[in-house]
Amino acid sequence: MTEATQTDFQPNIVAFLCNWCSYAGADLAGTSRTQYPSNVRVIRVMCSGRVNPMFVVNALQEGADGVLVSGCHPGDCHYMQGNYYARRRFKLMRNFLEYLGIEPERFRMSWVSASEGAKWKEVIEEVVEGVKAVGPMNKFKRRQLNW
Amino acid sequence: MVDRNKLRETAKEIISREDVRELIGYRAGTYGFRARPAFVYDPGEVDQLIFTPACVNNLATYITLEEKLPVPRGQEPDLRKVAVMVKGCDSRALIQQMAENAYDRDRILVIGIPCTGVVDMDKVQARFPDVLGPGEIAQEGDKFVLIYDGRREEVPREELLADKCRRCRYPTPLVYDVLLDEEVAPFASDDYSDVEALEARSQDEKWAYWEEKFSRCIRCYSCRNVCPMCYCNDCILDRLRPQWIRRSVDISENTVFHVARAYHLAGRCIQCGECQRVCPVEIPLMELNRKLYKDVEELYDFEPGVKVDAPPLLSSYRPDDPEDFIL
Repeated sequence: MTEATQTDFQPNIVAFLCNWCSYAGADLAGTSRTQYPSNVRVIRVMCSGRVNPMFVVNALQEGADGVLVSGCHPGDCHYMQGNYYARRRFKLMRNFLEYLGIEPERFRMSWVSASEGAKWKEVIEEVVEGVKAVGPMNKFKRRQLNW
Repeated sequence: MVDRNKLRETAKEIISREDVRELIGYRAGTYGFRARPAFVYDPGEVDQLIFTPACVNNLATYITLEEKLPVPRGQEPDLRKVAVMVKGCDSRALIQQMAENAYDRDRILVIGIPCTGVVDMDKVQARFPDVLGPGEIAQEGDKFVLIYDGRREEVPREELLADKCRRCRYPTPLVYDVLLDEEVAPFASDDYSDVEALEARSQDEKWAYWEEKFSRCIRCYSCRNVCPMCYCNDCILDRLRPQWIRRSVDISENTVFHVARAYHLAGRCIQCGECQRVCPVEIPLMELNRKLYKDVEELYDFEPGVKVDAPPLLSSYRPDDPEDFIL
């Protein structure tokens, strides 16, 4: 396998977007023809509180270079409090991954509402920029078995 | 130090009670200076019970480990109490288990032992490698006295004291029905200097450090099995659907195992240090647990295992929780 250099390195970003705000926000960005980096792979979940921290670790294991979890702004959650739980959970997770030596740029969280197509673009640009700066994720990538 | 006769008298009294089924305590081990758990069902068996600085095990584990078989039709379930001897740190495990509704307070009878610190058996073994035992350890003032083969040696307490006791904030049990001795004032505090030193390193250095540790892991799951907080009937590590963590022993799965294990103890770990004690390949698991413990304390002002009615950390929130990391 050839080592990708940082200039032509195109990271894979897995984004978990909540159905009610961030997914609609990303949709708005699309329907308004906003140009943003195409590195992001969106997974729609019903709420940011649905995202199990194992999803994040598993994504990094399976070849994602960065993970983004995005939900409604605090107070706007469709399920009243899901994003508050997610916030606690991922604050600890992010600090912990950083403690193990996984760059904090690889895991981000954001609040994007359904009307914030422009913010979605900014978020993605920042995430992709951050991950590009730290390079490909190979610290605990799952070994591919070639029988 | 707890008076041995008082301990045995109290134990005898407790096990003779109608409403007590068994008593979990400590007895002398057969090898070296070790002590091991004792399960007493009969008043005649109490004479084996001891409490010395060698009693490192956290007996709170055994309460949740007990298998609850379905009761045959026509029989009543045995609802008698389990009496358990706990040190300060172990009592916090009981509180945390009860805070999670693992069992009711009236199912257990807590014999509290104000603890002045236990030894680190690895340090004892390193210092007395040839002693087959049985040997005995006692504490006299600032010294541990080790008696073996008719010999008696005094070692400064600092040299053999377990690391967790150097940081112990709660030497006296926080929950008890019987207290065997005078309360002990806290003699140590925790400054997290080891965690902070590791935090300050660069990402690549940290990963190099942990990669070496994690790659040693043989995935025996001793750390999970001994943990008083790991009592889920259906553990994520055993599940096959979904199988979050594959069984292969390599750096990827090992890392995720250690992340999952430590993270599942966020806001629950009470720092009894059992996981690190039993680890056969000497992975500093407490450095992982302590990082989360420190964060939980600093960010959410939460200390597990102190209040029975405290809401679980990750199932509660405050609207003004820190969110500096959110874009």
